[in-house]
Parts: sequence; C-alpha cells; structure tokens
Amino acid sequence: MKISPWQGGGRAIGIATAVAVAGLGLTALGAAFDPRRALWAYLVAFTDWVGIAVAALILLMSFHAANARWPVAVRRVLEVIPLSTALFLVLFLPVLLGARELFPWAGPQQLAGEAQRAMEHRKSWLNLPFFTVRAAFYFAVWIGFSHLFHRWSVEQDRSGAPGLSLKAHRLGAGGLPLLALTLTFAAFDWWMSLTPQFYSTIFGVYYFAGSFDAAIAVLIIAAAWGRREGIFGGALTTAHFHSLGKLLLAFTAFWAYIAFSQFLLIWIANIPEEVPWYQVRNRGAWLPVGVFLALFHFVVPFFVLLSRRIKREPEKLQWVAAWILVVHFVDVYWVVMPHLSPAAPHPHFTDLTALLGVGGAAVAFTLWRLRGRSAVPVGDPYLQESLRYDPR
Amino acid sequence: MSVEIRTLAPPVDPLEPGPLILGAPDDGELNRELLEHVYHPRRGWALLFLVAAGGTGLLVLGITVTLLVGIGAWGNNIPVAWAFGIINFVWWIGIGHAGTLISAILLLFQQKWRTSINRFAEAMTLFAVMQAGLFPLIHVGRPWFAYWLFPYPATLGVWPNFKSPLIWDVFAVSTYFTVSLLFWYLGLIPDLAALRDTARGVWRRRVYGVFALGWRGSARAWRHYRIAYLLLAGLATPLVLSVHTIVSFDFAVAQLPGWHTTIFPPYFVAGAVFSGFAMVLTLIIPARKLLGLERVITLRHVETMTKVLLATGLMVAYGYLVEHFIAWYSGNPYEQYVFINRATGPYAPVYWLMIFCNVVLPQIFWFKQARTSLVVIWVASVLINVGMWCERFIIIVTSLHRDFLPSSWSIYKPTWVDWSILFGTIGFFSFLFLLFVRFLPAVAITEVKELRHELAAHGPAAGHDAVGVPLAEEESQS
Repeated sequence: MKISPWQGGGRAIGIATAVAVAGLGLTALGAAFDPRRALWAYLVAFTDWVGIAVAALILLMSFHAANARWPVAVRRVLEVIPLSTALFLVLFLPVLLGARELFPWAGPQQLAGEAQRAMEHRKSWLNLPFFTVRAAFYFAVWIGFSHLFHRWSVEQDRSGAPGLSLKAHRLGAGGLPLLALTLTFAAFDWWMSLTPQFYSTIFGVYYFAGSFDAAIAVLIIAAAWGRREGIFGGALTTAHFHSLGKLLLAFTAFWAYIAFSQFLLIWIANIPEEVPWYQVRNRGAWLPVGVFLALFHFVVPFFVLLSRRIKREPEKLQWVAAWILVVHFVDVYWVVMPHLSPAAPHPHFTDLTALLGVGGAAVAFTLWRLRGRSAVPVGDPYLQESLRYDPR
Repeated sequence: MSVEIRTLAPPVDPLEPGPLILGAPDDGELNRELLEHVYHPRRGWALLFLVAAGGTGLLVLGITVTLLVGIGAWGNNIPVAWAFGIINFVWWIGIGHAGTLISAILLLFQQKWRTSINRFAEAMTLFAVMQAGLFPLIHVGRPWFAYWLFPYPATLGVWPNFKSPLIWDVFAVSTYFTVSLLFWYLGLIPDLAALRDTARGVWRRRVYGVFALGWRGSARAWRHYRIAYLLLAGLATPLVLSVHTIVSFDFAVAQLPGWHTTIFPPYFVAGAVFSGFAMVLTLIIPARKLLGLERVITLRHVETMTKVLLATGLMVAYGYLVEHFIAWYSGNPYEQYVFINRATGPYAPVYWLMIFCNVVLPQIFWFKQARTSLVVIWVASVLINVGMWCERFIIIVTSLHRDFLPSSWSIYKPTWVDWSILFGTIGFFSFLFLLFVRFLPAVAITEVKELRHELAAHGPAAGHDAVGVPLAEEESQS
C-alpha cells in the first residue's frame, strides 16, 4: 500500500475558513448591538469546541497508554485535532476580555446574602489574575502535549523508529493525570463558577463525558469523510468503524450515567447551595430542553447505536455522530445559558453564528495542519496490524 | 498446523508485551496440567483449609453472639449507627467487582489476557458478594424477616421504601450475584464435561456429569454457548457499574457532609475495581505457584493487572482531590470540617494509612521493576485492600461521628464481635475459595486452548497478543 502526503482539501479549507470568517464576523456584529448576549453565545461555542479538542487529546493519549494497535490507521487525524488548542488559545481572548460580563465573581454584579458570602470565600481562587494564570497553564499543557505527540508521529513517518512509539506510550500514560486535572479545573472555571453558590464534585467529569462523546463523534465524521476522499488510501475497514461506533455507544451511555448521577444526587438531597442549579433548568421552558437531552442525547442514540449494521456502515454511522455533535451543543447550551436567561431560552442569531464561526475556524485549522503529510502514520510499527484489524 | 511457541526468552522488542502462554503445550498437556490440581490436591491444601475453616468458625461465633445478644453486641450506636456492618459490606462488594469486569468488559474489549484469569476472578466475585450479603442480613437485626426487603403482596400490607437506596441495593446486588453466577457457571460447563470424561470413579463422574448438563461439545452446542456467553457479557457490563453506583447512593443521597457529594458514583466504581484487582493479585500470585498455573498465568497477566491498579488508583486519588478541593471551594463550614477532622481528628491514623495505601503506594507501578516483582506486587496488593477498607471506614465513621451538632459527637469503637465477624468473613471467603480450587479447574481450560490455537494459527503476525514465535524462527535468530 502506498500513501503519499495529502495535498487535497483546498476546497474544504476554503469553505471552513469562509464559514469561520462569516460566523465570527456576524457574532462580532451582534456584539456591536448586544455585547452581553453575543459574549454568552460565544462562551457556549468556545467551551463546546475546545472541550472536543482536549477530549480528542485524551482519547489519543488513552490509545497510547493502552498500547492500542487497531486505531493506528485513524491516529493521524486524532493527532491533528488537538493541535487546534493553539487556535483556541487565541479564541479564548474574548472570554477573558469579557469575563466581567460572564462571571459573577469578576463583574460588578451586586450579590447578597449567602451568595455574597460564598463569593467572598472563593476570592483567593476566583479572581481575574489567577483565572488567567490557570487558563494559561491549561493551554500550555494542552498545546505542549498535542504538539509533542504530533511531532513524534511525524518524525516516525520518516524514520520509522519504534523508540518514538515507546516515548508516546510513556507520555500518553504519564500525561493523563495532568489532562484530567486541567480539564476538570477548566470545567470548574468556565462553567461551574458561572453560579455564585453552586458546587458539584462531578462537574469536571460531566464536562469530560460530553466532550469525549463529541470527540469520538468528530473522529468518526473525519474518518468517514477521509475515507470518501481517499486520503487514507483504503486503510480504514468496516472493523475500524465498528469499533469507533462501539466507543461512541459506550460514551453516550457514560455521559448519561454521569448526568443522571449528578441530577439524582442533587435533586434528592435538595440542599440550598446546590439545588437551584437544577431548579432553574427544571422549570418553565428549560424543562423541555432537559427532557430533550435525556431522550436524544441518550435514549435514541443508544438504541440506534446498538445496531451492528449501523456501526459497520460509515455512511450511516457518520450521521449518528453528527447528531451527537448537535445534542452536545444543546447540552452545553443547557449548562451555560440559564445563567443569562433563567426564565426561558431566548435563542439569538449569535448562538448559531458563534457556534459555526468557532467550529469553522477549528475545522479549517485542523485540515490545514493535516495537509502536506500522509494522513496515516506510515512509520508506525503497528500500522500493518491496524490495517488487518478484524476481530471476530 | 502445529507451531512451536517460544518459551522463556523475554521479548526483544520493547513494544511487544510478554507471552500469554509459556511454552508450546498441546491440548492434552493443557488438559492434564490444568486439571491436575483437581485430581491431586496440592500439598498444604488441607492445612490451609483447616485454617480457613477455623476462620469460618469465628464467623459463626460472631453471628451467634449477635443473634443472641442483638446488634448491641456491636460497637455502633448513635450517632455512628452504621459502622462495620456497612464498611465490610461495601468492602466486599468492591472486591467482587474485578471478576465481572475481567470476564465481561474485557471480553467486549477483545482483551485476550483475560482468558487465563477470568474463571478465578469470577469465583472470587461470587464468594466476595456472598460475604458482602451477610452484613446487611445480620444488621437488619432479625434476619429471619429479611425477606421483607423484597416487595411482594402480603396480608401484612407492608411494602419496602422504594425511595431508599438500601432497597435498590437489594435488587442491584441480587441481580449482580445471579448474573455473575450464571456467567461463571456457563463458562464452567465445557470444563465440567472434561472433568466428567476424565475423572476416575463412578461417583465423581456422575456428579460432574450432572453439572455438565449433558455437554457433548457439538458445533451446535458451541454456537448456542457462544451467543449466550456474549449476551451475558453484555448484560453483566452495566451491572458492574450499577452495583457500586447504588452502593455509593447509600451515602450520597443523604445530606451529611462527607457523604453527599456528586462524584461518588464514578469514584466508588473506580475504587471497587481498584480493590477487586488488588484482591485478584493477592490470590493469584500464590495460587499460580501452588496450583502450577505459571504456564498460563504469566508475568504479562500480572503486569497488566498492576497497570489496571495504577489507573484505577489514580481515579481514586482524583476523587479524593476533587472532594477536598470542593469542600474548601464550597465555603460550607460543615463540609470543610469533615475533611479537616478526617486528617487531624481522632481517626487521623486511619486517614493517613488510606492516603498512603491508595494514593502513594500505587505510584510504584509507574516503574517496570515494581510491575514485574511478584513480592512487591503481592505486598502492595494486600496493602491496597487494607487501604480500601480504611477508605470505607473513613467515609462512614468520620462523617457520622461528628456531624452538625457538636453535642451529639462521639467516638466509635468496634467490639471483639465486630472484629470476629470481619475476620470470620475473610476465613469463610478463603474456605469457599479453597473448595473451589479443590473441585473445579481454576483456569478456563477450553478458553486457554482456544487462545493457544489462535496464537499458533496467527503466529507472530497476529501481533497484539500473539507472541507465539515459531521455534524454528527463533532458533535461526539465535
């Protein structure tokens, strides 16, 4: 099998860039009229996409840590997606600059009573300078790790040195604790601290679960697209899609498990620091959104993904994956937006433009980083094995 | 096709893990070797059995005293109304998690290293769950009414409280036990048939024959067997998660600081798998030697399990860290006090022992030397189980003994009856385990044979788990 460096994708990059420019431009336009509304829409879009990029890095590192051989054929794509964390560092600036509009601890909002007391207590943690330092640390970890894995793998394309695989396995295992902590504290910073009093120990796992599910979905879409484009040179088989589909099934269930655990425990204990978070979401027009999530982020995709036939057909599986991305957005929206409009969701055009803008930018960036090299890690000692992958 | 499989020499390629089967035994040899411990009990078996029976006696004594005197024979009293009864329940249930994880989840993940250890781990699961079940049963005070826990229409007109996770526990644990038992038994059937066919003595043959359910090994039977096995694996997978999730609900649904925290479900599951694998290692390291299973339970198996220990240990550590951080972050003085009290209060030694065993100690498994030294692993696995017991003690006792109202604070001390029941269950567990290795094959022989054929057929090209390098090739290299 011969795989030459991938030179295509010019059109796709062009489209994605156009979407990015249009989306971000329109969001900026929206910000000119209603800066607060546009900023919140932007926070949803940003945390949605950056979570996927980081979760993709975690997936990559887990594959390395487990010495997994079957995913080698799709690994290059998975190595490129996390590189977009460098782009997200730039895209984080609006969140940082608008922090006073977003976070109750940063802004001029007047809090009273218990909420004010909680804010007072958390001041040493929740303040803009430290918030910035922490974010810088998260991005340093994400950018550093993603570039190391990519660099080693590209180097291996040329040299084929097995030592590089060994290095990647070691860093994959050794780096996972750091990834778990950075993603957890990012969830605490960017999502949990939106509510003055609320706290939940599972919150980091919740952000991880949704993002990981969506990252697997992105990988499936990319793999199905790449297969159509022929960038893998026929390296992917139905068995690869079958296994990716199984992962999607497992983590769809995992997301539901984590979401339900958090909901049940907070609802049943009913204590005043925690339960308002769900009270807002279980009332009025937010309630249908939560019910929608339970049905369409879990029940329906779960039963659809049980089908062996669907998992083995990339043309079908990619649509399920696309659906997971849609419901993941709804999930992020449901977590973030009730802080802005507690009574009911008020959709705004910037919700869509920010989502497409940030997403378009990430896709364009990722495709650009994929270009010029082979889309399969041709130097990996396990590649032959991955190509033959066909468990009974 | 018969291919010789490489024996001793460790893999030259650092990317290749060690072999799953040492040497190149044929099916007959495997049969003889793996059934040997059933036909000829190993030396020392009787002695161990006596010790275990003594431990079981201690359990009987403890239970008898409890029934005669009442729960007052135990140390728990308000405010620590729950102590050893539930600590030991959670501990044993946790240990019982590795079996189903190995047999079901690893099967779905296509992990071939599960093959030689699944039977063993499943048996351990069953016996651990039996010990676990004893505790709530005795703790209800009048065990002869324990069936009231099940919802059934009766003239009494009394229904269990469906809002209580304790009732969910009854369903979760009994379902888990049933499915685990079926899974274990299904896996045993072909081996029982092998025992029936090779055993000496009419009675042995008859008994094994009855349990083998008329297995003849026809292609049709194998087909049905395969489907049933896979279905049970699929069913057992959510059960692994659900049981300890519901056990965690026992605490987390309450409002008590130290109990009510949302991370509990996944963190309890990780802790359960952690302790389960530790117990598998504690048992398997001596057993592979005593029962002569070193050929099929290799260093590769042991090393892989230590990696699972490291991974789940890190998840437990993550749970501790997040709990402590959020306790501070909450700004809730009660929440904060629980954690300060755990680290500096009257039970501080137990807390620090827990931190040492569960967080510090597993870090040695980052290093290959520790992952391949049987003595180090064995000691660590025992200590990890001590650590996990301490964790349950800390969660349960420290949260209860000093709660919101300082006037009701008190100190909990277990009595000799508490201790004898705890050690008694360890004795009873060993008793059952020794019976298991005496009368049933400790390794799934048919599955090992199947694996060996796979490895031989694919040779080195099968990669991942096929380490069977044809002997000729190796000789030509050397």
